[in-house]
Amino acid sequence: MDPNLSNVDFRDFWQLAPATVLSVWGLVVLLADLALAGRMSAPARRRAIGWLTLAGVALALLAAAGLIQVQQLAKAETQGTPGWLSPSLAEYFSRAGGAIFLGTLSADLQTGVLNVLFIIMLGLVVWQSMAWSFTEDWGEYFALVTWATVGMMLLAASEELVTLFLTLETMTICLYLTTAFEKTRRRSAEGGLKYFVYGSVSSALFLFGLSLLYGLTGTTQFESIREVLASTGPAARGLSGNVTGATALLLMLVGFGFKIAAVPFHQWAPDAYEGAPAPVTAWIATGSKLASFVALMKVFLHALQPWSHPSNELLGPGWLGVIAIVSAVTMTYGNFAALVQRNFKRMLAYSSIANAGYMLVGVAAASVSTRGAEAAGSVLFYLVVYAFANIGAFAVAAWLVRDKKTDDIDDLNGLGMQSPLLAICILVLMLSLIGIPPFAGFFGKLYMFMEAINQQHAKAWPTLMGLVALGLMNSVVSAFYYVRVLKAMFLREPGGSRRLGLAGGSIEIPIVIGTLVAIFFGIYPGRLMSVMQGAAVSMLTTTTSTSGGFASMISAPSGTGYAPLPPAMASAPASPKSTRLDPEQAKKYADRMKKAEAQAKALASPGAQPKNAPPGEAKDALAKKAEAQQEDQ
Amino acid sequence: MVQFLFLVIAALGLLTALGTVLARNLVHAALFLVAFFFTIACQFVLLEAEFLAALQVLVYIGAVAIILMFGIMLTRNIQGDDTTIVSAAWKIPALAAGLFVFGILVFGINNAVAPAGHSPWSESNMRPSIATDAGSSKATAVRREAVNNMARTVGNELMTRYVVGFEVAGLLLTVALVGAIALAHREEAEPDARSRGEQPARRASASPQPQAAGPSLVSSGTSPPR
Amino acid sequence: MASDIPLNWFLYFAAASFSIGLVGVLVRRNAIAVLMAIEIMLNAANVNLVAFWRYRNAPPGAGPLPGVILALFVITVAAAEVAVGIGMILLCYRRWRAADVDRYDSMSG
Repeated sequence: MDPNLSNVDFRDFWQLAPATVLSVWGLVVLLADLALAGRMSAPARRRAIGWLTLAGVALALLAAAGLIQVQQLAKAETQGTPGWLSPSLAEYFSRAGGAIFLGTLSADLQTGVLNVLFIIMLGLVVWQSMAWSFTEDWGEYFALVTWATVGMMLLAASEELVTLFLTLETMTICLYLTTAFEKTRRRSAEGGLKYFVYGSVSSALFLFGLSLLYGLTGTTQFESIREVLASTGPAARGLSGNVTGATALLLMLVGFGFKIAAVPFHQWAPDAYEGAPAPVTAWIATGSKLASFVALMKVFLHALQPWSHPSNELLGPGWLGVIAIVSAVTMTYGNFAALVQRNFKRMLAYSSIANAGYMLVGVAAASVSTRGAEAAGSVLFYLVVYAFANIGAFAVAAWLVRDKKTDDIDDLNGLGMQSPLLAICILVLMLSLIGIPPFAGFFGKLYMFMEAINQQHAKAWPTLMGLVALGLMNSVVSAFYYVRVLKAMFLREPGGSRRLGLAGGSIEIPIVIGTLVAIFFGIYPGRLMSVMQGAAVSMLTTTTSTSGGFASMISAPSGTGYAPLPPAMASAPASPKSTRLDPEQAKKYADRMKKAEAQAKALASPGAQPKNAPPGEAKDALAKKAEAQQEDQ
Repeated sequence: MVQFLFLVIAALGLLTALGTVLARNLVHAALFLVAFFFTIACQFVLLEAEFLAALQVLVYIGAVAIILMFGIMLTRNIQGDDTTIVSAAWKIPALAAGLFVFGILVFGINNAVAPAGHSPWSESNMRPSIATDAGSSKATAVRREAVNNMARTVGNELMTRYVVGFEVAGLLLTVALVGAIALAHREEAEPDARSRGEQPARRASASPQPQAAGPSLVSSGTSPPR
Repeated sequence: MASDIPLNWFLYFAAASFSIGLVGVLVRRNAIAVLMAIEIMLNAANVNLVAFWRYRNAPPGAGPLPGVILALFVITVAAAEVAVGIGMILLCYRRWRAADVDRYDSMSG
């Protein structure tokens, strides 16, 4: 065997089981569609292929959950392995976690949780797609939506720039294509082309920034980039002293800014959102945003964290100031532009832009933070809550388009009388999006803004404070346009020649699930929050190999090593060792984590709710897992 | 000698890039683009990445440029009418933005801060040697193997470290194939039996605007905002 | 070789091509021309990547040629992107009989 061959453990492929299932299922769907094409009408094919896709989604969910279970089992039973697991696999899973494939991907709590979330959301999107016939190429459509999910899952797992770029492109190319799939409408093709042109320009800019970063550090792996950047002197760390670094960082920010629709780069979003068929819009607004934010946080909070460099000045020479400005502009512009929209999907597009602004507040907070993982966890929490609420909202848009052929806000007139139950669900979704207390959206904003306020870093505090104040004002502004939807539903008479028909399962279920999520995590936010914080810890840590061997990188349990640069490092170059795992720090970290959780529970209990969620809830397994993870520490 | 060769190739490359951007006739622009791709391949050869140069020629010139040509022919927009370039009022800020970016990049390249233990970019006048007598350090040996045997090294890397990336690239190409065909094939052309049921009625009412935009719409320039 | 090419020359060339491509994206209205300008930018990034790979010493752990591998994948992505882009441009061309980005204006706001 070639001695130069690097030594990959191919059992790592087991960790990719959900992604593999989905990629293969895309082909299955495509072939099934081919077989059925001559025999069935388009609507019948839509239903058949849709159910087939859902079967694949269920299979992938099984794979993802099974993977988590197997890992738990193998880790728990150190003395005896479960009989049905072959010894080599049992041995593999008992030490697995952290980086796989020589540090190009990660497989840990974060990827596990996100995989499950992506698959559930994909299921809702697929279900919603079965509502009406907006295209005839059903096999291609469902295959592309499924493959976009593969891109998202691997994007959220990537630990290195090559994989990051590839998966980002896979995800967005699938989304460009599905945006243009409604061939009977001009606006679909137009939205798709605009999305494509803006998106590919942005990925070219992103790539150039990435090449400069590679030139500066000589490596593509996040952990090594972090080490190299941390080892350079303090003069090189701020952006003002390092023009190339600043350029690279800004170009990469442009790339991510396009994907998450932050303001100077948002022009595609309203057109693409309005033009795309409603389920695709839902997938752009939720899945792609979630995946892009995870990638953004991995790159900026993990790899480029040494450059965040909050310093004496108000904004600082690091990227914190840039993010703060983008965030402020994004939420303000998004909210005020949403006020004047008449189209429901377009309004949601601007609201999604504004939400990207809120989330960037959390990212800014995480960058200066002494509690970076908690702040990042609150961003993840917000993303999840936002995603489920939005899938529900876009199901409403799908309903309008199916029955009325248009999707203006006025088309909702009189819905409150026509189907009161669904209208109440939509009410809950809108209230959660505004951030009214009993619902999950409120706690998402609360946690994020609390993290921003609680920062110990005195220098960056005015910036963060300003951002939080602006965010609160913007939430008030946002109430106006969400209330317009409610006003149309409850206060106006149904008008127009066309009436909304019965919603049907494919529209009801996303709405109802979105509502349940908004209510459930409004009442018990602590559980999801601790899962997300656990996920954020493993998101911001990797134990990559620098020696090339596989065993060296999985020896330490993941989920403890994240520690932002200690303040001393700002003045003196420290050895890269200090960013590695060391037990003292880990213990301190675990303590902080527990305290944070206690705080979170205290926050969650103003309504005198029981402190623990009732057992047997579906999400409980996840929460337990997170706790197990924490106890490992 | 090598420097002179580089200067010639770089000059040609920049000229062809300018030609691509400024040529009114799109076919000319595409031909300039082919020349540009070729100069990039030459740059790769100068950088001792011959394998990549071969791929550049095969994929970019052999496939990408041809697809672009097909696109140009099918949209029949070969005559460089004034729609292909924007008005002069917008040209100036665009040029300014380009010059600005270029200035920033050049300044940054000259002043790039190197990580500890490396020389800055502006002092890297020589590439690290790969000669057999240049020292027997492991890094040199690895680099020598990579340069002399690039196809083999790339293959090894694609099958080990970047195996997921490799699979994803395959998926990406499948996506492009499936999606582009699904989008570009015209359903009007085939007498479509299976969609005769409910489709026509829906289609008629589905779009608030006429399906086939006649020349009148194009010449009037704008359709009323919705 | 006494007179090797300095690394900076490659970087200047890449920066210049990148800027030209950027100007092209801003100046052209025809979607295919924009696509060509994007290709120029991607190629500029590739030159950067390969130059850095050849001239800089990589820290251990990243493999022997990360820059080349990334360039390889960029070529793949570019091919996929062009195929998708041409498909979409044809789709739009059939609707509008024009391939100019700013002709497509059925939505506004």
